[in-house]
Amino acid sequence: MEKTVKRSSGRTLGRVRAWFSQPANIILLIFFVSLVFLTLYPLLTMLSQTALVHSGREATAVRKLGLKVGDYTTYHFQKLLFTLDDGGKAGIVQSNSYIQFYSPLINTLVVSVASSFIAILFGGIVAFLVTRTDIKYKKFISAVFVFPYIMPSWTLALFWQTFFKNVNIGLGTSNGIMASVFGVYVPEWFVYGWFPIALVLGLHYAPFAYIFIGGILRNMDANLEEAATLLKTGRMKIIRRITLPIVRPAMLSTLLLVFASSMSAYSVPVFLGNPVRYYVLSTKLKSLMDTYPGQGYIISAVMILFGVAILLLNQKVTNSRKQFTTVTGKSGQISLIKLRGANRPVALLLVVILLLVAVVPLITFAMESLIIKAGDYSPSNMTLDFWIGRDLNYLDQGDDTGILFSHKVWKALGYSLGLAVTCSLIAGTSGILVGYGIAKKRGTRLSNFVNSLAFFPYLMPSLAFGAIYLAVATRVPWLRGFVLLALAGSVKYLPFASRSGVNAMLQLSGEIEEAAMITGVPWWKRMARVIFPIQKSSFLSGYLLPLVSCMRELSLFVLLVPTSDTILTTMLMQYSEKGWAQFGNAINLLIIIVVLLINFIVNKLTGASIDKGVGG
Amino acid sequence: MKKILAIVLALMMLLSAVPALGDVASIVEEGANLTHEELVEKALAETGDFLVYGNTSRIQNAFDAFKALYNLTGEASNLKDGPIYTKLDSEVNSSAKGADMVMIQDGAQLIGAIESGWLVNYVPASVAEFVAEGDRVPLVHQYINKLFIYNNGGDNVPAIKNVWELTAPEMKGNVIFKNPEDEQVNMNFLVMCTSPEWSDKLAEAYKAWKGEEIDLGDYENAGYKWVAEFLDNCSFGQSDTKIAEEVSQETAQGKIGLFVLSKLRSSSVLTDNLTVAQYDATENGYAVEPFSGFMYPMYALISAAATRPYTAMLFIEYLMTAEGFEPWGKSIGAYSTSTAIAPNDGDLGIEIWKDTLVMEDAEFILDNYEDVSTFVSKHLQ
Repeated sequence: MEKTVKRSSGRTLGRVRAWFSQPANIILLIFFVSLVFLTLYPLLTMLSQTALVHSGREATAVRKLGLKVGDYTTYHFQKLLFTLDDGGKAGIVQSNSYIQFYSPLINTLVVSVASSFIAILFGGIVAFLVTRTDIKYKKFISAVFVFPYIMPSWTLALFWQTFFKNVNIGLGTSNGIMASVFGVYVPEWFVYGWFPIALVLGLHYAPFAYIFIGGILRNMDANLEEAATLLKTGRMKIIRRITLPIVRPAMLSTLLLVFASSMSAYSVPVFLGNPVRYYVLSTKLKSLMDTYPGQGYIISAVMILFGVAILLLNQKVTNSRKQFTTVTGKSGQISLIKLRGANRPVALLLVVILLLVAVVPLITFAMESLIIKAGDYSPSNMTLDFWIGRDLNYLDQGDDTGILFSHKVWKALGYSLGLAVTCSLIAGTSGILVGYGIAKKRGTRLSNFVNSLAFFPYLMPSLAFGAIYLAVATRVPWLRGFVLLALAGSVKYLPFASRSGVNAMLQLSGEIEEAAMITGVPWWKRMARVIFPIQKSSFLSGYLLPLVSCMRELSLFVLLVPTSDTILTTMLMQYSEKGWAQFGNAINLLIIIVVLLINFIVNKLTGASIDKGVGG
Repeated sequence: MKKILAIVLALMMLLSAVPALGDVASIVEEGANLTHEELVEKALAETGDFLVYGNTSRIQNAFDAFKALYNLTGEASNLKDGPIYTKLDSEVNSSAKGADMVMIQDGAQLIGAIESGWLVNYVPASVAEFVAEGDRVPLVHQYINKLFIYNNGGDNVPAIKNVWELTAPEMKGNVIFKNPEDEQVNMNFLVMCTSPEWSDKLAEAYKAWKGEEIDLGDYENAGYKWVAEFLDNCSFGQSDTKIAEEVSQETAQGKIGLFVLSKLRSSSVLTDNLTVAQYDATENGYAVEPFSGFMYPMYALISAAATRPYTAMLFIEYLMTAEGFEPWGKSIGAYSTSTAIAPNDGDLGIEIWKDTLVMEDAEFILDNYEDVSTFVSKHLQ
């Protein structure tokens, strides 16, 4: 008996030892514990807020129910979700719940689905053209395609509005470039409403599709396609039966990212929806957070629920797949499809589209940062004062010096850069490790947990995520300033890095690492010398995406920054809100230039870039 | 797995422990009658950074001058009301360093913050005699007005003499306002329009405009009717500066906006193309019935979590002087509550504005906000 117990406990100990001897298990355990704290705890905090009575208007609204600040109630749920009959003549469509929740929800779904498809279609096609065809101007296309992502999304919305507005639509006060220069007066649906919102968000997030799908297409084993070609299979059939199934995980990841991003996008619907009274959940969330935060948090929870549903759907689809590997020990040279006569027209069309969505906005911002009176582009109305001026009291635009001579702008730039680099290093490295752990232990419960937890922050609207971290910070005295921002940023951007890490690791055949293991190479050396170099471009995108996102992040940090001058984006928001458009445009350009510069430096030093040099 | 969960829960409970609040209220109460010199002495004896939040960009200029005057260290942060209240909520419930003093709008929300003990009122003894009693608790530092301002070009100038003109079918889309769900002071104005006082005045104005008694239909009072019909005719701009810029364009003939008067100071606005309805009324001896816009207060209060309460008191005292008000007082559209500070040249005095504009009543707004904002949201569709 005693021997059996000893044997049994010895076996357990042995199993534990064996479990811990695998680096993937240790990594997953560490990330499981950390992510429970960094994602689930904030989530629980947020959920508790949906039933809590907050001070101000909310407390007054529930006073008649005998409730006071700090009490728990179902009132917020009743008011937001179940007030479908106010007794009015118009019925449900004029009820509080329909106006504040169901109508914005329907609009949100329309916009998010449409933008996801636009992003995948546009990004996917361009990725295919660049990686798998002999299209001209690859370098230019590859480099410029990521511009819309580098720019804060609302700048593209602002550009859209400035370019296409006219006196017959929206505010009806002024003509944009299309109307005043070309005499083209586009209809309202083209400038305001679901179509432009979905289009702008789709264009903004198309680089996701381009990066993820392009990365797979570039790295995939050419043998499969070549074998099909040798068997005289048609080009379309090869794409349908071989290429598309291989890029499906990347397409699903993109769909997931774009849908979740579009759901929580705030600025674009404000610019392109509000003028025609087209509201989405995020715009309702923002206004409710200032008045009835309980109802605002319910909207956040609903957004998260949608994200979770997509996540589960994605897991179901990916788990049903038998094989992810696209990179094996055997190398293959990809044969490019020859576009022949269509090459130049297709390339030129693409270049024109990219110039319109990526370069023309930059020129517009540069112009807008030079003019004094709005709408007057004559040379006499232009000045460089917003960039290099001193003693600018005459402008009455907040600052006394141009941004290049402004101490606070340089200070904010330094802070933004430090923050972005820190978040990128933490998120990027964590992403590689998480990717390794998940891929190695794919299918285990712990791996699935960590996979979901690592993606979870992405599903939380940035604004709500910031508010939650602020609430958490009040209970942790050392969680302040830079540390707070860096932690919130790293966790929020972990999904970029973990998606990228998981995708990269799932492509990698186990035999590559096994070969190194057999020869006794230790784990860290296998990671540094074998795995990282092979999937360098995917891993580096896991560093670069958080870096770029962090440089232009606003909603996440707006509640967490010690002052609005702390980082460039909150400074930019302040300038925009005050209507100091010229300074705002100058700062916006500064952000874009800095990010491009980082991209360029990283590219020169490592050979990688945010577009991963796909084909370029 | 159970052990891990137990550790997680234990740590969560540990993190939930909230430190006790310091008693700033009693310090402020005891120091209410301190002379300026005594206040300076106590403020300079305090240590650490002095932090201020304000829903006005010019707080930075006032703060810099104050810092230089007393050789202090610290930061002023320009934030909107929402983030300020969110930050205050978290700061007063923790031991972490937060704001010492705030300048804030939205009186309705402020009542909740004062009731919750987040903010402490302080009226400097040296300036109390210059401030009207109604502006002392909570202390109003200044008033800001939003006025009907129209494009004066073309043949269809909307030179209104009665606010019901804005509800006429021909004004559909020609009235520009910032969405009240995105700007609390705008929502507060609409709530005030439904008050007994203003709905009576609106009913009278309707009679003066149409020559007949108002037919309320399903509306509760004339205020609700005006709010509904006004919003139905509105287009919504992104910010008051943008609205000012847009209404001032040559191509914006026939447009009228309701926005902050101080936006006319901006170099990006074509001010020659704009006319302020009340200025025209005063100049030509008529009145815009029953109001030509609205006015709301900017409050100055001390945070209950202040670590430099005496410095906060000294700063409030400074802000109530002509020197402290200078960043706002140098242009039109901001009015100190101190009678010792005259309005800007070319602007009307605060008493005229109080007679011609809808003023906020925080208690009424708080009591009626839910009903009116629900009503308003139906007319924003």
